[in-house]
Amino acid sequence: MSVRIKDLTFSYRNFSLHVQNLQFEGAKITAIVGPNGAGKTTLLKCICAILPAPKGSLFIDGRDIIAMPEEERAKLMAYVPQEHTAAFNYTIQDFVLMGRAAYISLFSTPSSADVRIAHEALEYVGLRHYASRPYFQLSSGERRLVLIARALAQKSDILILDEPTSFLDPKHETELLELAKKLAIEKKKTILVTLHNLDMAVKYSDAMVFMKKGGVVAQGKPDDILTETLLENVYEIKMAIIRYDGRKLIVK
Amino acid sequence: MSNRRRALCIFIYVLPLLVFLFSLYLGPFHIPLRGLFKTLLSPLFPSFKQGLSEGYISIVFGVRLPRLLLAMMVGAALSVSGASLQALFKNPLVNEYILGISSGAAFGAALSIVFLGQHFPRQISAFAFAVAAVLAVLAVAKKSDSPIVSLLLTGVIVSAFFSALLALAEFFASPYALQGLFSWLMGDLSMAGGSELAISFPLMGIGIVGLILLRWRMNVLSMSDEEARSMGVNIGKEKFLVIFLTTLITSAATAVAGIIGWVGLIIPHLIRMMVGVDNRRVIPLSAALGASYLLLADDLARSLASFEVPVGIFTSIIGIPFFIFLLRKSRKIWL
Repeated sequence: MSVRIKDLTFSYRNFSLHVQNLQFEGAKITAIVGPNGAGKTTLLKCICAILPAPKGSLFIDGRDIIAMPEEERAKLMAYVPQEHTAAFNYTIQDFVLMGRAAYISLFSTPSSADVRIAHEALEYVGLRHYASRPYFQLSSGERRLVLIARALAQKSDILILDEPTSFLDPKHETELLELAKKLAIEKKKTILVTLHNLDMAVKYSDAMVFMKKGGVVAQGKPDDILTETLLENVYEIKMAIIRYDGRKLIVK
Repeated sequence: MSNRRRALCIFIYVLPLLVFLFSLYLGPFHIPLRGLFKTLLSPLFPSFKQGLSEGYISIVFGVRLPRLLLAMMVGAALSVSGASLQALFKNPLVNEYILGISSGAAFGAALSIVFLGQHFPRQISAFAFAVAAVLAVLAVAKKSDSPIVSLLLTGVIVSAFFSALLALAEFFASPYALQGLFSWLMGDLSMAGGSELAISFPLMGIGIVGLILLRWRMNVLSMSDEEARSMGVNIGKEKFLVIFLTTLITSAATAVAGIIGWVGLIIPHLIRMMVGVDNRRVIPLSAALGASYLLLADDLARSLASFEVPVGIFTSIIGIPFFIFLLRKSRKIWL
């Protein structure tokens, strides 16, 4: 499934986002990068309809995202927040089960099929044995994986990850992006991810979107669009690009 | 779920029945156990009526049974509404009392008693002002940056406002109305008449059943609004439904029993300590434990002295120290 943005304008407080034309292809990872305050998270939240973007600007396979009923949208698209804070310490299984909300009617409770799907999702991220542990007992890397498992339980084609690697060490960062890659290849998920680590973005993404001050500066395959001029334009500091092992590396 | 925990759940579900039978036995007029069971079963087996004193029947069915059922219903209602509000506001310290719903309902009911008389159903006015209190709390708290602290503060402010209005209503009340009003306000299960019960019972019943049916949804609603929305929840509609049902049962309970505070706070907490935070268990178990708790508190209220002590006094005396204990324990999380 592909996501298309057409003339999206959204403003709140003193920030305004404007994206003319942007397309995210199916079964690919698109990394959205840019300095703090560029509007990356705002863009993601608009796409998920968490922020009230206007109708007629966001589409999934031609269907207007904003006009869809919530549960229908949730079946197509799952959102993984940067972090989860809550007053209640649910067990991992109960937590992942909540991803089934769109499939379970208001006055009903999860069936054994829902429980099975939650277990499969946990299995996929490698935390099946944690099912009965409480959420707050996990490390931050494990919590990210549980959040992804919950999104997988949603069985959506599109997966939206908001800075999933922030505060993670290099090992967990790599593991998480490997998981994202596996999801794009094995499960044909369309993955949108915001990242701060440019090297990781170049390495793992199929397409990149550079944002600055609420707009898109460049988009395309990492190899095609990544230049020193672009980086200086976006981040306003000098960076050098070197070739190593057939890959572009960025030196600050 | 471990076997020990499962046994505990079953025990909590059976508890209301045990406490009910014990409470039925309790009272200034002594009825032997044999006579009590015979009386209780006499509507089913008419032959039991033979040799049974008329006094037994009128005491059991006319005095004790309605009161015990009311205590159970109100206890269950307040506990279920507390558990639901805690999930909805993502805060284990919230309840209908803290949010000002109880004070709004109390003012509405008092207004009705003072100006419309005893015979007009006070549930209507109680519900209207309970809704007003909720809306006021939500509107004021929304504007703040720290929603949890401000929600509690706003609840205190709105409660204080309605208490002032209540004092005004008391000021205009006749001395005769005032005495009834006073005792009822402290939370008293002995004041309700038959017609009051006939209105409040179905309202509380609908609310309790509705919230129990919503029990799993409450888990999802306890996530952040952003998360819940992205998981397919229509936040506005579902929040409205939960607030509507909790306000309905709180105002119906307050209209017949006055302000019985802190039940909605301590019961769900005890349940969560015992069986974890999954609302699929917390909400129905809160109903059962709340029913038993208020029955026992009412037993205390009616048998401690030779006269009736309002049960709300006991629930507050037990509840407030418990609340302070919880505040101290959870300070790290939210202050």
